[in-house]
Amino acid sequence: MKTPGIFPAVPALVLLFAFFLFPVVRMLGYSVDAGSFEWYAKALGEGLYLGVFWNTFQIALLVTLICLLLGYPVGFLIATTTPGWAVLGFIFVLLPLWTSVLVRTYAWMVLLGRNGVFNRWLIDSGIISDPLPLLHNVTGVLIGMVHVLLPYMVLPIYGAVRRLDPALVAAAEGLGASDWRIFWRIYLPLTANGIFAGSVLVFVLSLGFFITPALLGGGRVIMIAVLIEQEVRQTLNWPFAAALSAVLLAATLAVYALAQRFTQSEART
Amino acid sequence: MPTRSGQLSVAGHLSVTGLCRRFGEVVALDEVSLDIAPGELLTILGPSGSGKTTLLKVVAGFEKPDAGRVSVDGQDITAMPPARRDIGMVFQNYALFPHLTVAGNVAFPLEMRNVGRAEVARRVGETLALVELAGYGERLPRQLSGGQQQRVALARAIVFNPRLLLLDEPFGALDRKLRETMQLEVRRLQKRLGLTTIFITHDQEEALVLSDRIAVMNRGAIQQVAGTMEIYERPANDFVADFVGESNIFHGTLTEPGIVTLSSGRRLLVNRDGKVGDRLGVLMRPERFADKGANGFAAEVVEAVYLGASLKLRLACEDGLELVVRQPARGKLPVAGQRLEVGIDADAIHVF
Amino acid sequence: MGAEWGAKWGAKSPTRRTVVSWVGAASAFGALRPAVAQTEPAKPSQIVVNHSGGAMGTAMRKAFFAVYEKKYGIRVVETSPADFGKLRAMVDSGNVEWDVTEIGGQDAIRATKMGLVEKIDGKIVDRSKYPAKAQSPYVFASSVYTTIIGYRSDVFKDGKHPRTWAEWWDVKTFPGARSMRNHPTDNLEFALLADGVPMDKLYPVDFDRAFKKLDQIKPHVTAWWSTGQQPAQLLLDKEVVLATGWNGRFYDIIKKGAPVEMEWGEGALKQGSFVIPKGAKNAYWAQKMLAEMSVPQAQAIYATELGYPGLNLDSLNFVDAKVKPYLPTQYLDKQFWIDDAWYAENGNKAQELWNAWMLKKA
Repeated sequence: MKTPGIFPAVPALVLLFAFFLFPVVRMLGYSVDAGSFEWYAKALGEGLYLGVFWNTFQIALLVTLICLLLGYPVGFLIATTTPGWAVLGFIFVLLPLWTSVLVRTYAWMVLLGRNGVFNRWLIDSGIISDPLPLLHNVTGVLIGMVHVLLPYMVLPIYGAVRRLDPALVAAAEGLGASDWRIFWRIYLPLTANGIFAGSVLVFVLSLGFFITPALLGGGRVIMIAVLIEQEVRQTLNWPFAAALSAVLLAATLAVYALAQRFTQSEART
Repeated sequence: MPTRSGQLSVAGHLSVTGLCRRFGEVVALDEVSLDIAPGELLTILGPSGSGKTTLLKVVAGFEKPDAGRVSVDGQDITAMPPARRDIGMVFQNYALFPHLTVAGNVAFPLEMRNVGRAEVARRVGETLALVELAGYGERLPRQLSGGQQQRVALARAIVFNPRLLLLDEPFGALDRKLRETMQLEVRRLQKRLGLTTIFITHDQEEALVLSDRIAVMNRGAIQQVAGTMEIYERPANDFVADFVGESNIFHGTLTEPGIVTLSSGRRLLVNRDGKVGDRLGVLMRPERFADKGANGFAAEVVEAVYLGASLKLRLACEDGLELVVRQPARGKLPVAGQRLEVGIDADAIHVF
Repeated sequence: MGAEWGAKWGAKSPTRRTVVSWVGAASAFGALRPAVAQTEPAKPSQIVVNHSGGAMGTAMRKAFFAVYEKKYGIRVVETSPADFGKLRAMVDSGNVEWDVTEIGGQDAIRATKMGLVEKIDGKIVDRSKYPAKAQSPYVFASSVYTTIIGYRSDVFKDGKHPRTWAEWWDVKTFPGARSMRNHPTDNLEFALLADGVPMDKLYPVDFDRAFKKLDQIKPHVTAWWSTGQQPAQLLLDKEVVLATGWNGRFYDIIKKGAPVEMEWGEGALKQGSFVIPKGAKNAYWAQKMLAEMSVPQAQAIYATELGYPGLNLDSLNFVDAKVKPYLPTQYLDKQFWIDDAWYAENGNKAQELWNAWMLKKA
């Protein structure tokens, strides 16, 4: 096939190089300052940093799972409903994206606190007698992060469901499949790409989360971005910050590669 | 729903009565009634927008009619969900499941009916052999040619011994040669299995090749239901005459028994008695013209198109009548501007 | 209660009037110095001042920037937040966007050692009325603030609230959820004080002892705060009944009528600092800005707005008597100074230990 060559892509490539690749290379350079790997040894050797990495991955995984469970039905409904409802659904999904993360985080603090809207309502209606611990812990962080990241799950799933040929669903139905079986045998495998795209996106974005865990976690939920920020802005230990970032980057890429392989093999079978 | 067994089956008797369906202002189905005998292949022929696809969807259960009923072997299935109707369907673009292998696709309806694993394997094998795809079971649909994909779709639609088989313009995506092969193959298979089949197409040639009977649809209504020959030779109205095959259609008045006078004043000898003064349609198929006949036309050749087996002529008669005529392409061929004479016998003219 | 406060602290306060007369005097004074004007570098159209943002920016504009702009005809562009890492990046790359920037106390010391800041010109910036320890040649001490106890006055009535860190640690006598800063600074000292270390023997910090004491309070701290606004908000929402916090933030909600009071006992004093980054494009006019920020009348306006008094000791003379009880400089003897020099040396270690301690399951 004849292509116009890479020429039309040059501006984008230059931008990518200048604002993405170059800084990343600079950062990697910092991390092996003076040709030593001592900062990597520290990042991967000390319990504190391994613990925080582990924490970060756990939180990111949980957020991804919750986003998937909530986001699939939402993306599915928006993709299959009438255009009018779809627009309304989109507004609800996208509205959070147009609000600052900080504002949303504070809004959750108002809702989830011991004397927050939520707990007061539950107590007033007699469902519980003591307020639920929804804020300043992992629960709060998960709620806040899921809220921020849900659109990133919904949109790829919406796209995947939209791309699915409706004739396949009709075919399955005509061949005797119940709604439940249509979901498991047709929708789920054929929207796997959207699920993986959304999951990878949410997972990777989760890894870098910073403000939400700090505020809603009450300081108890430490994620790696917080430590990197400390090293960059507070202790000014840039080589170490770079090493931590490089480890995070490597882990992220590994997750991405794994997911990519999985989706491809999924599509093949 | 009981699973019917046996590879060969006597398929159902389909009856639709008084089906109506509107989409806003558009009338997709206008009091459609049809009766299809067990084992019969009925083609629904019509231009796009004629309502034929809506009719198919109503039969398959994907569309609910506003009025009327659908029944198979006396059982009213109008309100039954598609999954429980036991109707096999081949979609326009086959709608093969891209993530399942050929065998997986064919096994799908059996698995939905909770057929045992060994039985599934056996029937999938048999059916694939039937459509001449033995050995292709492990391939994915996209690794197959268009014709092979269609065979898979067909296998998937018949493997569970459906009561009815619906074919929705299944040959549209195939090239001409493959299409002809597949048409004959489908016909052969349908006959062998004795499956009551509804075939949807807008291609009148295809309809003539395949069908036991043809139902011509236009604007949501059935114009004529008849055997292929009758549809071609004795169309019920202008639309059918015009839509099926090439035609010369004129209107005139029965001025005396056996004579129709056209508006140009030309008198045509026809095989038709009736009340003098009746307004009638006259159909003359292009290939029914000869050098001479009871009715003679002196004309000038406007256009001559060589088609290999035949020659298609557009003629302008002296009284302003325009004719399309086909002649065997042999001997010295007429050219544009040339004057010639053609004729047609009274019994070759269809009056309606 | 809010309305009453509004009347007391409103636009008609006497401070306002003193300022107006001072602005007139200052500009008149400026006009009487033609000799200096001749040797001045050319005026830029604008200078950039970087600070923490929020209410602080508003107060600085009111107290300093408005006057500066009027006096010199140079626009003051504000950016935020204060960011040590960015300062270093700017100086390293030679592309210094800021002419003046706020900087944390310990960071100021480290920045000085790293050669990231300009020397302050004593001929332009008059700090003769400053305490001796606030006259660093490189760091301009802008204001004093303190981390103290804030409490719900509807929960702890009749003066029965924790007054010392030992009492803060005493969860039996003073029950209720607490909030503390998610940072080693302040908390290490508070722990040592609670454990009986006298205020003048806090440094060098005994990490083991401090963290051991912190272990005791950890289960009772509902939220470890990370932004200055949080503790005030947590008290307002009654999410906690006791919170450590910066006096200005409590002052702000008290002004607005919140049922919250401050306890100054054993508060951790710090100074707000500003520096001129090395290689600042308009260093001379940056010095002029620091000069404005050292004027006592201007510092009085700032203190009245935020509760953070300046270090020009004369400035208290221009503060309304009603405001004085809310200024940390009134209680210097009850409090201790955070040792920025010690943190400049040990801050990283402290932070690392703190992170590890936070990560440790309670």
